Amino acid sequence: MKLSKNFTNPLAANNPVIVQILGICSALAVTVKMEPALVMGLSVTFVTAFSNLVMSLLRNGVPSRIRIIVQLVVIATLVIVVDQFLRAYMYDLSKQLSVYVGLIITNCIVMGRVEAFALGNKPWDSFVDGVANGLGYALILLLVAFFRELLGSGTLFGIDILNRFGYVGNSLMLFPPMALIIVGCIIWVHRTINKDLQEK
Amino acid sequence: MAINKNSNVYIILYTVVMVAIVGALLAFLATTLKPRQDENKLQEKKVAIMKAFGDAKANFDESVTVYRLNGTELTEVAKEQQPVIFEELEKRGDLAAATENLPLFKYAKGSTVKYVIPMVGKGLWGDIWGYVSVEPKEGNVTITGIVMDHAGETPGLGAEIATDAVQALFVDKKLYDESNAFAVRMQKGGAKNEYQVDAITGGTKTSDGVNAMLKECIGKYEAFLKAEAGMAVADTEVTSEEVACAKCAECPERETCVKDCKKSCEECATCDNQCEECEECEKQCAKASENVEPVKVEEK
Repeated sequence: MKLSKNFTNPLAANNPVIVQILGICSALAVTVKMEPALVMGLSVTFVTAFSNLVMSLLRNGVPSRIRIIVQLVVIATLVIVVDQFLRAYMYDLSKQLSVYVGLIITNCIVMGRVEAFALGNKPWDSFVDGVANGLGYALILLLVAFFRELLGSGTLFGIDILNRFGYVGNSLMLFPPMALIIVGCIIWVHRTINKDLQEK
Repeated sequence: MAINKNSNVYIILYTVVMVAIVGALLAFLATTLKPRQDENKLQEKKVAIMKAFGDAKANFDESVTVYRLNGTELTEVAKEQQPVIFEELEKRGDLAAATENLPLFKYAKGSTVKYVIPMVGKGLWGDIWGYVSVEPKEGNVTITGIVMDHAGETPGLGAEIATDAVQALFVDKKLYDESNAFAVRMQKGGAKNEYQVDAITGGTKTSDGVNAMLKECIGKYEAFLKAEAGMAVADTEVTSEEVACAKCAECPERETCVKDCKKSCEECATCDNQCEECEECEKQCAKASENVEPVKVEEK
């Protein structure tokens, strides 16, 4: 199955976090451990994909003067849906994620893709674009969380990996600035490989 | 298209329909999911109470009996009525103000009888709350476990009250000192006696909040707990004649401080013989409190 460019671009070449530099706040906050990072990544994917889909379906009927307001309403509704589901079915995780699920609406990736893509493209393409951007975001979150959890707590997904060898967790890894440094390193590696992304 | 999408009528109609649909959808979702969400919160409370009892894996419904306390009288609460108690625990403002029909949880295993007291208080940025489990034994009441949580204290500082490390500090601390006064507290600068635990560095205000919470909430159950432990109910030391001097009165350390003084500070000031205990008392008051200016002890 040939994957369309809509799907593959946001995963690497046009990744929302390391290329478009969007969604950084939550990338710092929820990546202390891998499990919340995964849930957050999936939540953002869900919200971005379905906001894109809904807005694309509505794009011909929305009055242009209240375009942004309608986008906000759609995104906010989806975020509330996700939050309510987490509180009902994954309560412990929803407490760990606390306010950050509600803050998905402030994640620039969601509004950014709706404005840039969904309003000018067909529903299926928009949906795919939303999924891909969400997954691109999730990928980076998981990568950052991988390092932070492994080096900061010696575990991955809660399973002890390093502690049995007498490893003592590096507390610095548990603080947000470390996440920023890791994201910076990922951007560095990514741009070294993709030379065309380097600014002149 | 015949409809002008930018006309005011269309915009207003569009907005109204959109809001109606979204409102209905979210209301439907909220009511459908509410029972599950409430069940989750209930389970969380039960697990916290069992954790305070020291038996996190045990089943709440099998091991714990729920009571209402009035003065020193216990009335058992039947299983069907227990949801009411848990709803009261949600309403922290009302729980803080309550003085009768207080909820109490009892756990008995073999010859050990423990009680869990639900507590609420104010931290630096918001509410704090918790469950403390106490065991009346050997003429005193000992803390056997505590679980605390908060609404918005600073991570790494005040928020540490929710960690196992800080909560473990309270285990095996006796509530009442030799003069039967409430002595458990988080002490800034490190625990100074066997009743105190270290306060959180950088989390002074939250630690003060915990102290107030412990004192006020456990205080409501004091008569009952002391009766269970076979202790004299009234404080044996401080009578109305022993008044601390004015500076000591403002000092937060007053409770423990004045106990050490056998005579009031004003008495000492007019006394011909230097009251060594008072001198120590005033000095300790001044050192321990940041708000009170250092007091110059009058040499007579």
